[in-house]
Amino acid sequence: MMIKGLLKKDLYNLSSYKASLIIIILFCGIAIIGTEAINLAPIIICTIIGMISLSTFSYDEISKSNKYILTLPTSRKEIVKEKYILAIGSTILGGIIGFILTVIVINVMNHIRAENVIHLDYESLISTTIGGMWGISLIQAIQIPSIYKWGAEKGRIQMFIMLFIMIAVVLGVGYLLIKASFNINIEMIENFMNKFGIGLFVLLMIIMYYISYKISYKIYKNKEE
Amino acid sequence: MVNNIEIQNVSKRYKDFELKNISFNVPQGCIVGLIGENGAGKTTTIKSILNITKSEGTIKILEKDNKENEKAIKEEVGVVLDDSFLSDYLTAKQVSSIMKEFYKNWNENKYINLLKQFNLPTDKLIKDFSSGMKMKLKIATAISHNPKILILDEPTSGLDPVVRNEILDIFRKYIEEDETRSILLSSHITTDLEHISDYIVFIEKGKLIFSLPTNELLENYGIIKCSKDDFATFAKKDYITYQKGKYQYEVLTNNKNNIKNKYNITTIDKPSIEDIMLFYIKGEK
Repeated sequence: MMIKGLLKKDLYNLSSYKASLIIIILFCGIAIIGTEAINLAPIIICTIIGMISLSTFSYDEISKSNKYILTLPTSRKEIVKEKYILAIGSTILGGIIGFILTVIVINVMNHIRAENVIHLDYESLISTTIGGMWGISLIQAIQIPSIYKWGAEKGRIQMFIMLFIMIAVVLGVGYLLIKASFNINIEMIENFMNKFGIGLFVLLMIIMYYISYKISYKIYKNKEE
Repeated sequence: MVNNIEIQNVSKRYKDFELKNISFNVPQGCIVGLIGENGAGKTTTIKSILNITKSEGTIKILEKDNKENEKAIKEEVGVVLDDSFLSDYLTAKQVSSIMKEFYKNWNENKYINLLKQFNLPTDKLIKDFSSGMKMKLKIATAISHNPKILILDEPTSGLDPVVRNEILDIFRKYIEEDETRSILLSSHITTDLEHISDYIVFIEKGKLIFSLPTNELLENYGIIKCSKDDFATFAKKDYITYQKGKYQYEVLTNNKNNIKNKYNITTIDKPSIEDIMLFYIKGEK
């Protein structure tokens, strides 16, 4: 019940994004028509909706609402939990909208231009959607604890620094492997990913959110408002 | 007398401030005014009561420990904070829809009636409200689940005298409706408290200076204006502090009848709560 109240507060705050969201969906629809790419919409929409859900932290900061919310019959645990429910929900919603939009636009295009049919590879579309969801869940899993620790504004800067470090580490490791002439069996990796990729990504998402939630709660439990 | 709030030896240490062993009670049917300078420790005390900040000591609300029964207690408490509310980007109507998820006893009809009574629009964003309107909305929100206790942090600061008076009337009515209710009200506008509070709790630099019934405070305290020579005859135990004026000494006592008889003084001025507060803060001993 309390989480429902917290969710309502955040969703009412986010209702001002309604028009922007419709424009983004329209833009993605046009982009699919223009590029005939089926992998575009899930990634863009997932990222944007996922990021919008994090802006609730800024609303809370502007209105200093956390202090007031702590006077209501709820707990710090529920407050943190609600933010994760919203983040995960937004990621799933972004994935679903992106997926459905692509299917609708491609099918309408194929219906109109019967001479130039675009092959809709559902497997590839699902992989892209899960990939997009995984990407934004990684950003959310890093950013939410950062915001709890440093606040909405500083947390964003810290997140970019962390992402930059992560990319640098991945690229660095890749570079070292190439330099050391390490033999990577691409075919084996591809086979593995085709077989277990989606499940692995979903599992990783769950683990990332869980660890992130635990860290956020630990930070918020001892935070002074 | 049953106390709705009991605070015993509450302490809280920050880097640059310390709240030291604060103890006082908020009895049923009473309005207790918490006074002190900005930064004296009023908000820290309120945050400790509401368990927003972790502090040492014992706090009982409705005879229950405030940490062990936090949720149950908060169902019975309405809170108004000067600088914090749900969100400025909501309408009053949306506030009701949110609050009914938090409180089992949320009374939507009461809330809507209060909004009408306060002339507050239901579909306008709170960020476009005036300070007075925002405060009235916070109060309507705080009392619409019929709480036993109201805790208000600076509810009248920054408001004009007309709105302040309206708000004080709301508090009076709230207590009159049910004598088992209580209000703890912090303010640095002491004239407001003089009119409505039954008890005054004065905190200065994190220490409790006194917790007294308002009428006792106003009846027993007095200011004596005298010459330097007359002041020299006063024993230290007979006065609290004094202030040196250009032509005379002003002396604050908490037992004006005693000092009147002992030193044969004819005129003792009745101080306001603000005077008393200023003597404690600025006076010398």
